Amino acid sequence: MSNGEQHTTAIKNLLFRMADDELIIGHRNSEWTGLGPILEEDIAFSSMAQDKLGHAQALYNILHSMGEPDADTLAFTRNEKNFYCCHFVEYPIRDYDFSLMRHFLFDTAEAIRFDMLTKSSCQPLANLAKKVRGEIKYHTMHANIWISQLGKATDESNIRMQAALNECYPLALGIFEKSDYENELMESGVFDGEELLQKVWTDIVTEVIEKSNLKMPDINDANLSTLAFGGRKGYHTEYLQPLLDEMTEVYSIDPSAEW
Amino acid sequence: MKSDSTIKSLDPRITRADIPKDEELKIEIAPLDQWQTYEVFHQTKKGDHHVHVGSLHAPNPEIAFLSAKEQYARRGKCVNIWVVKTADIFSTDYETEDMYENNSEKMYREAGGYKVMEKINKYKKEHKKPEAAKNEEVKS
Amino acid sequence: MYGGGYIYDDTNNNNNQTDDAQKLEAFEARIAAGEKIEPQDWMPADYRKQLIRMIEQHAHSEIIGALPEGTWITRAPGFRRKLALMAKVQDEVGHAQLLYSAAETLGKSREDMINDLITGKSKYSNVFNYPAETWADTAVIAWLIDAGAIINQVANSKGSYGPYCRALERICTEESFHLKYGHDNVVFLATGTPTQRAMVQDALNRWWPPIMHFFGPSDKISVHTETMMRWKLKMASNDDMRQKFLDMYVPKIWDLGLTIPDPNLRKDEATGQWQYTEPDWDEFKKVINGGGPCNKERLAVRKMAEERGEWVRKALMKRDEQYITPLA
Repeated sequence: MSNGEQHTTAIKNLLFRMADDELIIGHRNSEWTGLGPILEEDIAFSSMAQDKLGHAQALYNILHSMGEPDADTLAFTRNEKNFYCCHFVEYPIRDYDFSLMRHFLFDTAEAIRFDMLTKSSCQPLANLAKKVRGEIKYHTMHANIWISQLGKATDESNIRMQAALNECYPLALGIFEKSDYENELMESGVFDGEELLQKVWTDIVTEVIEKSNLKMPDINDANLSTLAFGGRKGYHTEYLQPLLDEMTEVYSIDPSAEW
Repeated sequence: MKSDSTIKSLDPRITRADIPKDEELKIEIAPLDQWQTYEVFHQTKKGDHHVHVGSLHAPNPEIAFLSAKEQYARRGKCVNIWVVKTADIFSTDYETEDMYENNSEKMYREAGGYKVMEKINKYKKEHKKPEAAKNEEVKS
Repeated sequence: MYGGGYIYDDTNNNNNQTDDAQKLEAFEARIAAGEKIEPQDWMPADYRKQLIRMIEQHAHSEIIGALPEGTWITRAPGFRRKLALMAKVQDEVGHAQLLYSAAETLGKSREDMINDLITGKSKYSNVFNYPAETWADTAVIAWLIDAGAIINQVANSKGSYGPYCRALERICTEESFHLKYGHDNVVFLATGTPTQRAMVQDALNRWWPPIMHFFGPSDKISVHTETMMRWKLKMASNDDMRQKFLDMYVPKIWDLGLTIPDPNLRKDEATGQWQYTEPDWDEFKKVINGGGPCNKERLAVRKMAEERGEWVRKALMKRDEQYITPLA
């Protein structure tokens, strides 16, 4: 592989990882539309799910401009082996505590990632990162307020949020699983790398969690900290393929049709 | 495996929710379960007044803001939002509508209550200067 | 989205005699003059009662109406449809929020309204008791049910109660997006592959009877319309709205080469009125009273959502506060 080819492959890999994460979490969170805990929050949560899908579409569009198929084909025709999302986004929505905690942990990482990418040498990605900044600001504000209020509210809500955190935290580490292109991306100034991202994320998450009367889970156990890995290489949980089957049910009646 | 006692829906989300079939509807929504109400005010662009756009249910101002942003500003332009607890708004009754009536004696408050053009015109007519004097004035 | 199928309370005209006759006269004069009634104004007890019932049914219809289309939210084909369907269902939830607030200004709390919904005491639009069997159903609902709703809501937005009119104005703006989206969706299916076309024809066949029901019983058998009209609670008769709908949408359906499952449907050129097979009003009553294909599921789902969200609401609830009715 020439240097140029390798550079393109590295960028595409980053775009796929990000786009697939956004698509799957957006899809999952959309499941709450019409079923949320109170009308007002139902509306807010649905808006953010729409934003995630919008980010996925924009990222697939960049891939399309680099010679890949269009966004719909990328999202609605690949099977799980060719998806590079992390395991964390694949899990079912469960109760609102789980969905909210995932929203908090994922969106915090997303916000930092996009912030880092505003300085990316990959111009379309830098432009997109600047464009979505306002949206993501609302998402993290929403997450922080909800986590901190429910963490501090009652014994029941505190216990629920702590349990959700204990479960989500090891899974969230899968967000930062490195790909084979990590060095190339860093050297060419496309992205400052998962390690730095995770470091900044841990600091911010710890601060919010501690302010919310919750405790950071202890994940020194190596097994626990790599539990959720594999997604970036196409290995997924039992939840992804059924999710994709459901999502593409209508589209795959005739992928060549205009829907 | 799903048991036969839960709802199988055309909606896969509902099937996944494992809702018991034929269960009596027992839940009772208690007073204040849906929280207090807040009134929402919008500013469409900087420099404009904030305008009342509606109300919503929230437990505190932070959540009221999060909800107001999406319920009242997800379309169209908005640069700033105020949320105020309904209970904190003092409002008057329409029974007292007559209190706001303004009558003609209060024209001293209105721009239209001051009409001086008639006097000016009358004065100008009486003190019309000859053409020459006016030219002289312009030169100096 | 809601049609003209409101179930009014039995109007007992004697109720009005307990209201101050002078006040009633002034009230009716204000309405006749086109003024809006605001929450703090004096109003006849029966006016308040009918309004609460009407707005509440409308609100319930929005939140339950989120379910048939929500059926396809995880399966919408392609980004454009997926995002639009989410935004549309979200709008229905938003409409419920606005309408519950409008009803609250009349003195019934949202909690009481939700209780009446989940115990079946209070009704919602009958159409939502039918299933959305295929993707094409969402297209037909978004186009034709929302079209029917707009006809009703535009008329009612010129009604007499301020908070309801203001909510309806905002709702109508959003419904026009739904209508465009629904039409676009139907057009893509009708002009698409044979499978897509068959799908949308099938959906139309199934949804036609509920659409005809949507505007409510014929004026011949519908009661209490006179007072409702004078008080500007009801702005158009059920039959007039149905005629208007047929006039606007039947030609558009025929333009696409789709057929409507009613052999008697035609416009009488002499009178300008549409002729159609009288909808089955016994079926309508049966469904209203719980006998439709989805009544049980719709209520069970709504109950589940309330139940599973209860801990969230309870956690942030302040018990020492007193409930205050929203202002407007």
